[in-house]
Amino acid sequence: MMARFLPILAVAAALVLPLATSNTYFHHLLVLWMLYSLLALSLNIIVGYIGELSFGHAAFFGIGAYTAAILGMNFGFPGFPGLLMAGIVAGAFGFVIGYVALRIEGPQFVILTLGFGSIIFTTTNYWVDLTRGPMGISNIAPLGVGAGFELSSALDYYYLSLLLVVAFAYACHALMLSRTGRAFIAVRENAQLAASLGVDVFRTKLLAFVVATAVAGVAGAIFAHYLTVITPEVMSLNYMVAILIMVIVGGRGTIAGPILGALIYVGLLELLRATGALRMVIFAALLTVSVIFLPGGLVSLWRRFADRSTVRTARQAQVEAGE
Amino acid sequence: MRLQSILAATTAAFIAAGTMAVQAQEEPVRIAAIAPLSGPGAFDGQLAVEGMEAMVAIVNENGGVLDGRMLELVTYDDKGSPEEGVSAAKRAIEQDDVDVIVGGWFSSVALTMKEVTRDRILTIMTTSQHPDTTREGHDWLFRLNATSTMMSGAYSQFICDRMDLESIAFITINDDYGRLEVENYEKLLSECGIEVLGNEYYNKDDADFTTALTKLRAANPDAIYVSAINTAQGATIYRQIRQVGYRGTTIASAGNMNPKLVELSGPALEGVYSVSLFAPDSQDPELLAWVAKYEEMFDNEPSFIGSIGAQSIEVLAEAIDAAGTVRDYGELAETIRGNEWDTLLGNVTFDDIGQAEQNIYLIQIQDGKIASVN
Amino acid sequence: MEMELVLLTQQIMNGLVNGMTYVLIATGLTLVFGVLHIINFAHGEFYMLGAFFTFFAAKLLGLDYISAGIVATLGVAVLGILANRFFFWPLRKEHEFTVLLSSLGLALLLTNGGELIFGADPKYVASPFADGIVPLGPVIVTQQRMLIFAVGALVLVLLYLFIQKTRMGKMMRATAQNPEGAALTGVDIRRVYTVTFMVACGLAALAGALVGPTAMIFPTVGTWAVLKGFIVVVLGGLGSIPGALIGGLILGVVEALAGGYISMGFAQAIGFSIIIVVLLWRPNGLFGAARRA
Repeated sequence: MMARFLPILAVAAALVLPLATSNTYFHHLLVLWMLYSLLALSLNIIVGYIGELSFGHAAFFGIGAYTAAILGMNFGFPGFPGLLMAGIVAGAFGFVIGYVALRIEGPQFVILTLGFGSIIFTTTNYWVDLTRGPMGISNIAPLGVGAGFELSSALDYYYLSLLLVVAFAYACHALMLSRTGRAFIAVRENAQLAASLGVDVFRTKLLAFVVATAVAGVAGAIFAHYLTVITPEVMSLNYMVAILIMVIVGGRGTIAGPILGALIYVGLLELLRATGALRMVIFAALLTVSVIFLPGGLVSLWRRFADRSTVRTARQAQVEAGE
Repeated sequence: MRLQSILAATTAAFIAAGTMAVQAQEEPVRIAAIAPLSGPGAFDGQLAVEGMEAMVAIVNENGGVLDGRMLELVTYDDKGSPEEGVSAAKRAIEQDDVDVIVGGWFSSVALTMKEVTRDRILTIMTTSQHPDTTREGHDWLFRLNATSTMMSGAYSQFICDRMDLESIAFITINDDYGRLEVENYEKLLSECGIEVLGNEYYNKDDADFTTALTKLRAANPDAIYVSAINTAQGATIYRQIRQVGYRGTTIASAGNMNPKLVELSGPALEGVYSVSLFAPDSQDPELLAWVAKYEEMFDNEPSFIGSIGAQSIEVLAEAIDAAGTVRDYGELAETIRGNEWDTLLGNVTFDDIGQAEQNIYLIQIQDGKIASVN
Repeated sequence: MEMELVLLTQQIMNGLVNGMTYVLIATGLTLVFGVLHIINFAHGEFYMLGAFFTFFAAKLLGLDYISAGIVATLGVAVLGILANRFFFWPLRKEHEFTVLLSSLGLALLLTNGGELIFGADPKYVASPFADGIVPLGPVIVTQQRMLIFAVGALVLVLLYLFIQKTRMGKMMRATAQNPEGAALTGVDIRRVYTVTFMVACGLAALAGALVGPTAMIFPTVGTWAVLKGFIVVVLGGLGSIPGALIGGLILGVVEALAGGYISMGFAQAIGFSIIIVVLLWRPNGLFGAARRA
């Protein structure tokens, strides 16, 4: 029973959380948390559901961000349709790259996606006429519909991204209970068996990849409008590693995991700021310790607890079967 | 349950950290030093902050500002990245409520950060050379370094008049600063009859330059102009220029010379020219006092980057005293613009858009030391 | 025309030497993957440590370059044993993503710890061979770069003999093919882990000691190294040492030609394009079908 109300409670908590303080910097951190959550949830589709490791995901985040910024800068394209376009463009890139890369698995897939990411990064960095190259695009207009209504404060962006996170998390949840979702799990666990049962493995993977990259693109577009600046840096390996940490530390293949992972990433780094030079060392140490002692991610703590106290629900059993 | 309690604990911790930071620090004038403290620019950021620290110590020993308020430096890491620079500035303003910001060591960071600080806080940009940093004028924004346009004007004059070159090639960092450098010099040097034989861009994470340098050497220019901000990349390029067998003249880009670079590059930098705001053999008493303090506090040698950091503190301290206020930014900015400041690098004035006017010196590496030449 | 040919030869030469450093880095990486099926993201940090240990052995112990390089290689090989003991051996039964993240954590720990301990200032590993130029006809190479090539080739031969001829080498090969089967036939898996990590980290450190004098070193150089290593390993075929050799040299030459004839800024992306084409043509890499390790 608890498991059913938990998501609702969590959403309610997230809705009132910013009201706890009027400190705008705290709101800024909340926005980052939500945007990273969205990004981590999208990577989780690839890592947790397809079971492949993509090292090109930050590039799609960047494509979305650049699409929104360029449309705004060159064509005066209003914000919200721009978000949609960002998702479409990132998803289109995802389709082409996925179509090529998903024929290959394991470490080779990692390198292929890394390679595509690197090519996109280099192109962005040198195609100065379109992207303004390494100097990036600044002064990106805030999100809005025409002139009358625009998102100006961090709180606005927080609620927008929270809405998207909740919607996407719910979609992931519903998807996992659906026939397609079961196909995902079947493909991850045993692609040959799934194929023999009539699942089109390649199409299933490609669908997941396109969805994941499109969502990453939307997250990137909001990021660009929110920070008002975007440079090729967001496609760098640093961001890639950061998203991966969120997904795996939180718990891959779950919905709460990537959101929790994003919270840990943003929150812990902020709390550790006081430790100065030791900051990244402590962060890395905690990361490593958590991986060694909690290989299933932070959500596995909850699962251990839930296993002891309640009857296992069908879904948990399914998730565990997936381990 | 667990998710919520984690959320609650984190919220509480954020708020606690916030209020503590605000309450404990009422007395001192707090200056945010936003610099690259990790990543490829970490060493340059370290030199910058050390230079500021040394000057803060001097000001505080002399009684601080505004009748006894001490200066306090609060450091933030921008990792040399524009996005991180924006976050750092937000934190400095919104969370830590600092009094002024000193930042902008790299142009890319300066160009984005100024949009966050605009009309909110007085900001001093330091080594950034991109003209756009001060271009549109921004009431409370100042920049100390000469722009690359100002630097290249002075430097190309010297190259044309004194170096007797017929051709030149460039190796350039691919960023806003580097692209502008090439654009400026290609134009200015062509005008005085020096033929430009080529330019190779490199990325900020490249570690080997032999292929690019081999290509430039094959074009056989009289000189290779090296545009490098990062000390590690600079030293590698200077050494590899010799290692690929190039024996012509090497020219170091303006404003990027420091003792560490000279030490790391060894014989490859001997006799090489550059221009700088920092004349290392100047006998200015303020400079000597700062150098003494710096050497007492830190292991590195005082550098141009450090001296610009120190200059930012010096101008701020004097201007705060003269204006009699920190938080009235309009008044403080007006004071900074309206006066001439006597600093460790000589006299400096600011124009209407906040751009500093100060001396530019020609320097040369002689016997492993940076010396000024006339 | 003559000049063009000289330039081409020079660039290929540059590429071969750079390629040999990739080979040294990739060999350790491919060994760990081939034998233990671990993707070690911290591999580049052992390269970084090799360079820094050489610097400090020369500075603090007053050793000459060659002795300092040997001390550094041995020192990092010992660290490899510790890394295995604390970061990899305990996770041997976990999912590959978990192990990968553990190695990523180790990489962050070593980079940032290195920044704290060694300082952020770049350093230069002094070598008597760094600036000495060897003219090979019109083509020139520094002595240091000749040394990189020669030591690289020698080490590969020794490694080959070790894996083919020694008892430990046979145990490693057995583990590579079938860990459970190997354990049943009395192979001490724990020792195989230890030795594999020791050799792999030693190789990375040796690469660091050799490359140190050609460029400045700083605590984040490992990221670059591990990326190049991975590209080479996948290009050559995971777990294949001949693959690492050929893959490394090809990547070095492709990058040099791309840098020399197109633009250095694009060299990396062009390198990646080649890899994408190769992988689509042969998903297991050039030598992927070859017997492992």
